Amino acid sequence: MIRRKLSLAAAVVTATALTLTACSGGEAPAADSSKITIMAPFLEAQPPSADGAVQQKLEELTGKDVSITWTPNASYEDKMNITLASSEIPQVMVVQGKSPGFVKNAEAGAFWDLTDKLDEYPNLKTTFPEVEKNASVNGKVYGVFRARNPIRSAVMFRQDWLDKLGLKAPETTEDLYKVAKAFTEQDPDGNGQNDTWGITVPKFGALGTNSPYDMIETWYGAGNRWTERDGKLIPSFETEEFLEANRFVKKMVDEKLINPDFATFDGTKWNEPFFNGKGGIIVDVDSRVSVLISLFKQANPNDFQNKVGFVGGLKGPDGELHTHPTDGYSGFLAVPKTSVRTEAELKNVLQFLDKMNSKDVAALLNNGIEGINFTVQDGKAAAIKPETPEGKAVATDIKSYAQLGTNVTGNNFYPVKQASDYEQEVFDKRVEVMAEDLKSAVYNPAAAFVSPTYVAKGAQLDNIVADARIKYLAGQTDEQGLKDAIKLWKTSGGDKVQDEINKLWQDSK
Amino acid sequence: MTTSTVDVKAPEQAPPPAPAPGRRRRFAVHFAHYKWLYLLLLPGVLYFAVFRYAPMYGVSIAFKDYVPFLGVNASPWVGFQHFQDFFANPDFGRLLGNTLILAFLNLGIAFPLTIVLALLLNEVRLSILKRTVQTLVYIPHFLSWTIVASLSFLLFALDFGPLFLFINSVLGTDIDFLSDPAWFRPLIVLQEIWKNTGWGTIIFLAALATVDQDQYEAAIIDGAGRFRRVWHITLPGIRSTIIVMLILAIGQMLNTGFEQIYLMTNALNREVADVFDTYVYFVGITQGAYSYSTAVGLFKSLVGIVLIFGTNALAKRFNQSGLF
Repeated sequence: MIRRKLSLAAAVVTATALTLTACSGGEAPAADSSKITIMAPFLEAQPPSADGAVQQKLEELTGKDVSITWTPNASYEDKMNITLASSEIPQVMVVQGKSPGFVKNAEAGAFWDLTDKLDEYPNLKTTFPEVEKNASVNGKVYGVFRARNPIRSAVMFRQDWLDKLGLKAPETTEDLYKVAKAFTEQDPDGNGQNDTWGITVPKFGALGTNSPYDMIETWYGAGNRWTERDGKLIPSFETEEFLEANRFVKKMVDEKLINPDFATFDGTKWNEPFFNGKGGIIVDVDSRVSVLISLFKQANPNDFQNKVGFVGGLKGPDGELHTHPTDGYSGFLAVPKTSVRTEAELKNVLQFLDKMNSKDVAALLNNGIEGINFTVQDGKAAAIKPETPEGKAVATDIKSYAQLGTNVTGNNFYPVKQASDYEQEVFDKRVEVMAEDLKSAVYNPAAAFVSPTYVAKGAQLDNIVADARIKYLAGQTDEQGLKDAIKLWKTSGGDKVQDEINKLWQDSK
Repeated sequence: MTTSTVDVKAPEQAPPPAPAPGRRRRFAVHFAHYKWLYLLLLPGVLYFAVFRYAPMYGVSIAFKDYVPFLGVNASPWVGFQHFQDFFANPDFGRLLGNTLILAFLNLGIAFPLTIVLALLLNEVRLSILKRTVQTLVYIPHFLSWTIVASLSFLLFALDFGPLFLFINSVLGTDIDFLSDPAWFRPLIVLQEIWKNTGWGTIIFLAALATVDQDQYEAAIIDGAGRFRRVWHITLPGIRSTIIVMLILAIGQMLNTGFEQIYLMTNALNREVADVFDTYVYFVGITQGAYSYSTAVGLFKSLVGIVLIFGTNALAKRFNQSGLF
């Protein structure tokens, strides 16, 4: 079955690649330095058009004939692996993370090692060396990372409910419990019925996906994926704080402060209970604040303020603030050796990537085209209203083109001017809160390390614990069952992973 | 059905066994004689050669440590390493168990139901009613599993799905069908029945049409009721069809349906939901362990072959015409 799927997918990819080369005249892409081929994911419903305004402007600014294979985000990892197995490999590939597939290919020599090469290029010499290290495979840099705000975790709540019940915004995990309980039991929507709950949690599978569970565990002091205890790195689920955090979440599940279908609830509908007044709290990345506000704004442009409140990380039971950062990057742009064969060709590609991170191209990828979809006001990009069809096309396209932005030297583009004063105020507060939380960030000390055993079977191993966590919360197993699963993780190969990670950690010191 | 088997075999049996001398010439004569039949055979042979046999070359990665970048040929050989890993894996027993249980449930419940439905339809005398019902039961076959799964999620949704509310109020329970491991298999079988039973009746209805009508008249004169007629005439009449369909079904048995199961799986029911097909996807495609998952897929195919030959041999032993 897998063969059939693979060969089918390979045929599709090859066919697409063939069409692409056919468009560019059928020449081998590597031979011509004026052509750059890229494979990138798109997260919108449609990929941007190949002759849109953004594409033309991009080619004009970089002076290259750029052809991008847009691939649906949901199946990107599959397609990437299949593309690597094909003969039509792009010169630049967006790699979404250090997946086992990527690491295997990289270690077999599929990608250029850029460790000592990036510093020559002013826009690629990163100002966040720590993040570059996180994005490396045991110190080897295989791509230009795509920088992301390290602090993104936030607690969002219905401000109107909070005000109605006379509560204040949570500061500690205990406050979160109190607010969730009040939202569940004190009829915050005032309809006289017991039809609300506190926190909405959707179906979250794996460990380390910045899920609400992961965040609460970090707030409790369990660390972030890995944590240093007695001079050794251990997975955070082996800490006592992990169990405490899950007891806390389980208490909320048992008291029905969390939606009962948390194990199956569809994540794409996460906003709905919040917006419809069913569940009043969401624990997720802070960018959801803007999404929620625009939902309320769409429904009622005259009354959308003070519906959504938010705070950053919460203090744990120890009274300390341990905030939950990401690794600071979201994948990287790697250069395959099959399509870029010589140092000279690599130089050409890196020059292109350097250009891609220059101020004018970064603004194009992230803000759009000045005068068409935005104007600069007080150093901020303000959307042109009313939106013209051209402006709309550009605004839609850049949502995909932003995937090519690396911003390894910080954000070179204009910050977006929010649509109203209220939204600007909330946005500024977000920036402020996240900057404050950055000071207490608990980083994953093993982010840079890739253990061979983990590559071989890490995802299956982690599933043991991730599933047990959900089962424990749902009451299908007790705490002993959760502990047994952690033990099973260790005996099924986790111990080996731990040894390898610790060795890499010691070697890197 | 038996007659058609004979038809297919006829050209092979017709030429006399060729003695060693002049064998080539005889084959030429034979070939010239049947050239149109061979021409008819050609597209089928080409199809199997190109789309079924050629890709089998890729199966070799089950014995290699395949890295896409290196390609099939350059990846190093590792022998039976992946098979050993798989059999030693704690997941193995669970996967095998889940796959077999689901397979037998589908075979034991969905397969006989198809025959029952075909018999019921066959007994409907009112032509317009029969056609309407037939069309209605065929329709679900054309819906994708994604839609079937979405429908199930709506119908069984916790606290507001109509079936969730109905069944729980009748039974006086509080079962979350979508996450309760005990309800995973019933749901899967139910979906399978809803989607494919109607479609499966087509072949049986065709077979039922071939049953000799005179026998029914004779039976009626002898005073046989409807059930006796079904038992003694209809069922024996389509016995060979049933056997052939059963052998085919058994060959497909381990293909428990990737999409269906993948869509219905969540953290709470994964224990019973993981089958070979989803495991191959999970390990192979999402983790890039192509060799390992190919080995798993190959193992599954081997089990399928054993089952097909086993059933065929059994069918022959019980004096039925087998599939081959």
